[in-house]
Order: sequence, then C-alpha cells, then structure tokens
Amino acid sequence: MQELTFKVQRYLPGKDKKAYIQQFTVPLRQGMTVLDGLIYIKENVDNTLSFRSSCRMGICGSCGMFINNFPMLACHTPVEELGTDRIEVRSLPNFPVIRDLVADLDLLFEKHKSIKPYIISPDTEEAEEPTAEFLQSGEELEGYVQFAYCVKCGLCMAACPTVATDALFPGPQSLGQAYRYCTDRRDAGVEERFHQADSRHGVWLCHLAGACSEACPKGVDPALAIQLLKRAMVFDSLRLKKKKKPASIAQPLAESKPKIDVPEFTVKQP
Amino acid sequence: MRETRLKILQYITGIGLFFLVGTHLIVSLLSSGEPTSWESVSGRAASAGWLALFIFLLIFGLYHGIHGLRTIIMELSIPKLPAKVLDWTLLVIGLAIFGYAVYIPINAFL
Amino acid sequence: MKTKAAGSENRHLPNRLGIKSWVWGGNYTLERYLYTLHRVTGLGLLLYITLHLAMNGFRLGGVESWIDIMEILGMSGFKVGEYLVAAAFIIHALNGGRLILQHLGYTLGKPKPPVYPYVDSLRRRRPIVWAMLALIVALAVYVLIVFVT
Repeated sequence: MQELTFKVQRYLPGKDKKAYIQQFTVPLRQGMTVLDGLIYIKENVDNTLSFRSSCRMGICGSCGMFINNFPMLACHTPVEELGTDRIEVRSLPNFPVIRDLVADLDLLFEKHKSIKPYIISPDTEEAEEPTAEFLQSGEELEGYVQFAYCVKCGLCMAACPTVATDALFPGPQSLGQAYRYCTDRRDAGVEERFHQADSRHGVWLCHLAGACSEACPKGVDPALAIQLLKRAMVFDSLRLKKKKKPASIAQPLAESKPKIDVPEFTVKQP
Repeated sequence: MRETRLKILQYITGIGLFFLVGTHLIVSLLSSGEPTSWESVSGRAASAGWLALFIFLLIFGLYHGIHGLRTIIMELSIPKLPAKVLDWTLLVIGLAIFGYAVYIPINAFL
Repeated sequence: MKTKAAGSENRHLPNRLGIKSWVWGGNYTLERYLYTLHRVTGLGLLLYITLHLAMNGFRLGGVESWIDIMEILGMSGFKVGEYLVAAAFIIHALNGGRLILQHLGYTLGKPKPPVYPYVDSLRRRRPIVWAMLALIVALAVYVLIVFVT
C-alpha cells in the first residue's frame, strides 16, 4: 500500500513556546483529501491533534490550512492533486494559532463586521416594517452575486502580502464585501463605506498581488471586487460617479384567475 | 476622500514621469557634444525650457517616489499618531530635497 | 478603515508572515511576484534619484569638482549600475501602467457568477501580463545593446 508523509504543525499553548513540525505516515486511499489524512491521524495515531472542520464539502469554510505553502480548504484538496507524497500542513498564516492547526479567525470577523456587511436601507420605515420586496434586475444581481459567495474561510487574508505586515489593513475579505454591498441598489451605505475604505490603512494599500483571488476556494475573486471599489471611489472623488438609483418596491400583484382550472381536491379535507 | 486624492495624484505623476523621464533622456543625450560635459550641463541649466522640464520632473519624481515609500512604510501597522508624524516628516524631506535640487542649477550657473 | 489591531495576537501564538512575505509568501503565480518586482524597482529608482541629485551637487564645486566626479562615474561598475537603473525604469513604468489600468478596474472584465473550475479575472486576462513582460524583455535587450555599443 502506498503511503503518504504528513508533516503537521503542532503547538500546544502553555507548553510550547513556538510551533514545530511533527511527521506522520498515512496510508493512501483513492479519492483521499488532506482532511481525510488528518482525520486518519486523529483517529489512529495521535488523538491530541487539533484542527477545525465541519461540512467536509467546501461549503462551511472551516478547514482553511496552509498546505504545501498554499492556503487551501483541507476538505477540498485531494492529495493526488498535490502531486507529491510529502504533505506539509500548517495553520493559516496571518492568523494567530490557538492550537496545532486551529487558527483564530476573530480578526477576520472583526474586520468583516466593521464594513457593515448588510443592506443599509434608505427607507428605515420600510426596512423595519416591509410592505413588499425590492425589485432588482438580473443584470444588477450579476454585478455583485459573485462576491456574495464568500464563506469567510480566511484563505484570502492568509494569502495577502499587505495583511502579512499590516494589522490595521481590513484585508481582501472585508474590502471585497464592502464593494458587494456598495454596488447593491437596495443599499444606501456607499458614502459610509467609502469613507471607511479611504483611511491610511484602507483600500489603497491593496497593490493587486492577486494572491487573494488565486487562493479563494469559491471563485469569489476579491481582487476584482477591490479594484472595482477603487474605481468607484476614484470616480466619486472626481465627481464623475453616476448617482445610484435606489431600488424600487414591487407593486402588489393584481388579482388574476389561473389560465387553466385547478382540479378539485380528490382527498376529502377533514 | 483624502487618500483617494493622494492616490489619483500618484497615478497622474506616474503617467507624467513616463513622458518626462523619456524627454529628459532624449534632451540630455541629443544635446550637442558629450551630454555630461561641463559645457553641456551648464548650457542646459541656462535654458528656461530645460529648467522647466527639470522642475516638473523633480516635482513628479519626488511626489511619486515619496508617496510610494510612505505606502510601504504605512504597511508596517503604523498607528494614527506616528502615521501623522511620518506624513509630515516625508513632506519636509521632500521639500528639502526639492529646494536643494533647484538651488544647484540656479546657484552654479546663473 | 477602523478595525481592531491584533488583540487576539496577544492571546494566541502570533503567526503573521511579516516583511519576508513581501519577497516570498507561498506558491503563488505571476502577479504576486510582479508585486515584489514593482516594489524592489520602485525603491531602487527612489535611491537612484536621491544619489543622482546628490551627484548633481558637485556642480556647486565648480568645473574641476564636476570633471573629477564624472571620471569616477565613467568607471565600468557605474555603467552596470546605470543599465540596472534603465532596466528598473522599464519594468516599473510598464508594470505601473498595467497597475493603473487594473486598479481602476479596466482590462479585468465584469464580475460573473462563479462556475467551477473557478478562474479569477487576473488569470483570465493573463495574456495582457505576458504581452507586457515580452515588451519589457524586448526594451531591456534594446537598451543593453545601446549601452554596449
């Protein structure tokens, strides 16, 4: 049976001063992912190994790790795709290590919250007591839906060279989400978010290294969102921006008769 | 939108430098004789057109370079107050270099 | 943007890659290393401008002082340095032009719903970068020929 060598980062708070690498041998199975390998180690070799995972299908974004020097979701990475039988797994860079492979994602969530990642409605009354839905065209939806697929896994933040040195930089995840909401016609928080992104440690510290989009496991392309945010801010600063029309509210549907008769219930109602 | 305006200037000076550096090299190299000889250098410094080109080149180059340096330093998690000190320090350094660079041709040749 | 500085980095083991990531951060592709090249050439050019202006100061010492410094700068080591400055200018100018366009969202295309296998906007437009690199190499070789002859 072919075997894989897993070199896994270990760190136990209170005991270890710094992280170190421990080596494990794992039998290869067909279709095996890096997460499967870690689960094998935990179940059969060393049950003290700590890592975070949940859905095992690339949806929840819990198992972000630095695998062979690239940020990836462990569940979404078949070992065969790595093209080697030596697999080095480290905790996500740029996030503090809680234990072994468990990164503290507090920073990500703090920064995400800071850009107000929700629709700031221009009509507070309608927002509190909605009477109908807001209208939106397919084209308008296409303008931001790509960025709405973010699962907050933190891989983009681990890849970003600015986040690597600047603790005050919001990072690709939150800046990408800032654009996602700014371009939504239902939202009226553009000025507020532009003002936030305009700081010394704001959007202009992104130099388009593109590593965030390369690492994103969901095709969100935060680098594109950030460049579009920059364009919108430049146009706004030069007063060249077209004013965004607020989304209108859907009219109540007119009473209509069905085109074909609906058959009577054949099962008697109690 | 202060940072956005500073960045727009960074783009404008970048584009400007592309043409100004090209003109600077062509003017220097196509001037009669050895471009770095005392006669050529003093001849260029006495020309109002060359002096204007030099001053524009200096302004564009210093702004572009110093703003770029500021961006790199800012990425070292510089907090608000030291960042303000950095801004002013770089501004003073930029103005000092500008003053010195303009003083050279004026004092040496005019 | 107001975000909390790394509070949790005091509670847990800090793991920021730091300045070394400006040079190498992982197995990323082209644009990530063009970023490094742009930074290095920019800092090199800034250093050159400072030295160039300082060298110009020798004019204040009169004609003898100017001739002395020109003799030193005529040595072959300085010629290599001059070529490196010209090459750095070519790289920084052309890559800078690409960055200005792409920072303003041009040449990147429009957002579209992600369909697996995902290809991001920079990689979709990779030919632009290859064309730019080809132009950089061609100009750098041309300038080298001019310097040698």
